[in-house]
Amino acid sequence: MTAVVSAREALIDLHRARRRTRTKQIDVFEALYRVYVTAIVGGIALWVVSGLTGDHRVDAATAAQVRDHGAQVIGAVIGLAWAIGLRSGGRGGPLVIEAADVRHVLLAPIDRTLVLRPMALRQIRFGVFAGLAAGAVGGLLAYRRLPGPALEWVGYGAITGALAVAGALGLAMAVSGARLGRLAGGGAAGGGLARSSLVGGLLALGVAGWSAADAATGSTTSPATWLGRLAISPLGWRSGSLIGAGVAIAAVGAGLWWIGGCSIEAAERRASLVGQIRFAATLRDIRTVVVLRRQLSQELPRQRRPRRSRLSGLPDWLAWPVWRRGWQGIIRFPPLRVLRLAALGAAAGLAAVGAWRGTTPLIVVAGLALYLAALDAVEPLAQELDHPDRRDGYPVDVGPLYLRLVAPSLVVMIAVAAVGVAVAVAASGFRAVAWQVGAVVVLPAAGCALGGAVTSVIQGPPPIASATDSMLPPEVAGARAMIRTVWPPLLATIGVAPVLAGRHPSVSEPAVIRVAGVTVPVLALLIIVGIWIRQREPIHAWFRVAMKEATSGPARPAAR
Amino acid sequence: MPAPSLSGIPPALAARGLTKVYGDLAALEPLDLAIPAGQRVVLVGHNGSGKTTLLRMAAGILEPSGGDIEIFGSAAGSLEARAALSYLPDTPVLYDDLSVSEHVEYTCRLHGAEDWQDRASALIADLGLAARADDLPSRFSRGLRQKTAIVLALVRPFDVLLVDEPFVGLDPAGRNAFTELIDDAYAAGATVVVATHQLDYVARVERCVALRDGAVVYDGSPGAVDVAGLVG
Repeated sequence: MTAVVSAREALIDLHRARRRTRTKQIDVFEALYRVYVTAIVGGIALWVVSGLTGDHRVDAATAAQVRDHGAQVIGAVIGLAWAIGLRSGGRGGPLVIEAADVRHVLLAPIDRTLVLRPMALRQIRFGVFAGLAAGAVGGLLAYRRLPGPALEWVGYGAITGALAVAGALGLAMAVSGARLGRLAGGGAAGGGLARSSLVGGLLALGVAGWSAADAATGSTTSPATWLGRLAISPLGWRSGSLIGAGVAIAAVGAGLWWIGGCSIEAAERRASLVGQIRFAATLRDIRTVVVLRRQLSQELPRQRRPRRSRLSGLPDWLAWPVWRRGWQGIIRFPPLRVLRLAALGAAAGLAAVGAWRGTTPLIVVAGLALYLAALDAVEPLAQELDHPDRRDGYPVDVGPLYLRLVAPSLVVMIAVAAVGVAVAVAASGFRAVAWQVGAVVVLPAAGCALGGAVTSVIQGPPPIASATDSMLPPEVAGARAMIRTVWPPLLATIGVAPVLAGRHPSVSEPAVIRVAGVTVPVLALLIIVGIWIRQREPIHAWFRVAMKEATSGPARPAAR
Repeated sequence: MPAPSLSGIPPALAARGLTKVYGDLAALEPLDLAIPAGQRVVLVGHNGSGKTTLLRMAAGILEPSGGDIEIFGSAAGSLEARAALSYLPDTPVLYDDLSVSEHVEYTCRLHGAEDWQDRASALIADLGLAARADDLPSRFSRGLRQKTAIVLALVRPFDVLLVDEPFVGLDPAGRNAFTELIDDAYAAGATVVVATHQLDYVARVERCVALRDGAVVYDGSPGAVDVAGLVG
């Protein structure tokens, strides 16, 4: 007991001393500026969302629809949040423990629960606050359209938001601390971390699938759906809502109980990576976020090639080196990445079916799913860009080298898009028009998604201070930065957008003909993107020389 | 399998069938190793041979994929093992917002050290940090950060000292001071395991364990073998 008390006192004093030092380093004006910017951004976001939802009350039929199906939709979102929490917990999350705390505190002879539980409580507290605020805003927006008192909408919304976030964090902490890999046959050792990740992933699939099944069938069976029921209580109270609330609270209790058992190895790995991911995200450095996320989930390339690698048997004059190098990287994709590519292709196919049936915004979801897949498929080119010193040593022009590296990735993306087409055909009941439209769209969809990913990795993060931006007015520079960020996923969406053209066919112009007609300019755009990839470096080199001459004057001819 | 201890005291470090696998890469093959209490051992091997992996598993930072590893009969990473073992990694890990003396104070308090002030002052002086004791290590050079990490590893009570590449970044004075400190710890009865490429240090110890591709390829007196051949 004495040792516990003294360890606790030491921890308290440690945090006090660190807080003292950090407080001295705070710049008050910078802190106030951040609050000011956050308030403005938050206010604008609220105004935009408020404008989208409109002001007019819905009719009785719509209100009845919300009452009957709203819980399932909200429950699906909550189920997804809980699934993300479970997956995070399987990989050692959600706590982000500083490297120095892992090294000095968690390796000290003190009860780790003593150290980790306060951290867990802080994270849950923050999450509850964020969930409360988001839920309250959602409730307020709902009040503007749906019948019921404002206080009830805001109150139930806030409680639902808080419980949803708290439940996700609690589940993550419970899975992380309970070390479920041991239950799956890992023992105290035996690949416990890998098994924990697998068990967490399976639980996540189960929870998300359960909520999705409720949404598909209109039933209320999963705890997430019951919690979603709580949010729409102003339309009619159901006591079963308490089930969802109870599960969320139990998850928090379990998480706080088990948090002391979390893996030190996973904590150490997360310590540096999460900080780097956040930094890269603020810089909009998509490639670095992708690489670091893979390190966080230990998604490593396969050490050994598949035994029958035909590439090793090809004669040199037939196995072009760049094409071969691309495939050597792709065949080392870990199984999880291959599964993810297939899943994203399937998601794109389902979203395209939804857009075809009338939910037009789902075409953006289809484009984004293919864009995410392309960020994985573009790995051979990305590896070259990650190692510019090697690239600069090759006696090859950079533009053609990039295009050749993209070729194997295009094959991969065509396969991904083909998975999407297959799923779309199945989801539409094997109708002929589905595979006809899919066959026409597969190449532009794959090409534009890949074009977006290639653009993203070649551009890299926006420069912090570029010579070009310094010459432009701030409004133009800001718009330029926004276009630079938005263009890659937009290009991916353009690739799959021709699907929308076939929704209203006529006798003289069947769906596949209309889609093919719209595909032509999309393919032309793809060719332009290819030319940009090919010519980007020479154009930039010319521009650099021109800038230099503009600032320092043209070079004088040498004296005779 | 490691031989059981004749004195009844469990080995300071005992690994049985210890493995570590990352995906399809085996960083450590099934490894058996027993280091009795009070012995000084050097771990050698080429880059990627598994020295750091073994030390980090003994420290309880990495989890075994198979087998087990114990410190004086307690599982690595358990409360008892953490109290007995001090691990000095090759890369110093320090707080950005604590001074050297604050680091020392809290390390000692967390480890329940008594009357640590004199020992801390002596260590800081020996390693040439006396003038920087109130500075933040986040602003130090690599060598000074390594010296700070050495103070933290030695100031707290321990029975087993694991050191990974201790001399990287140290100036000659620091290297000599640290070598003497390790010798003092050994003379006081601690079990010392040092992973290093410095062949001149190998000559000072009575036992050399060489790893190659995750397996032990030599375990014996350093004088009986060409150590340079084991490292290269």
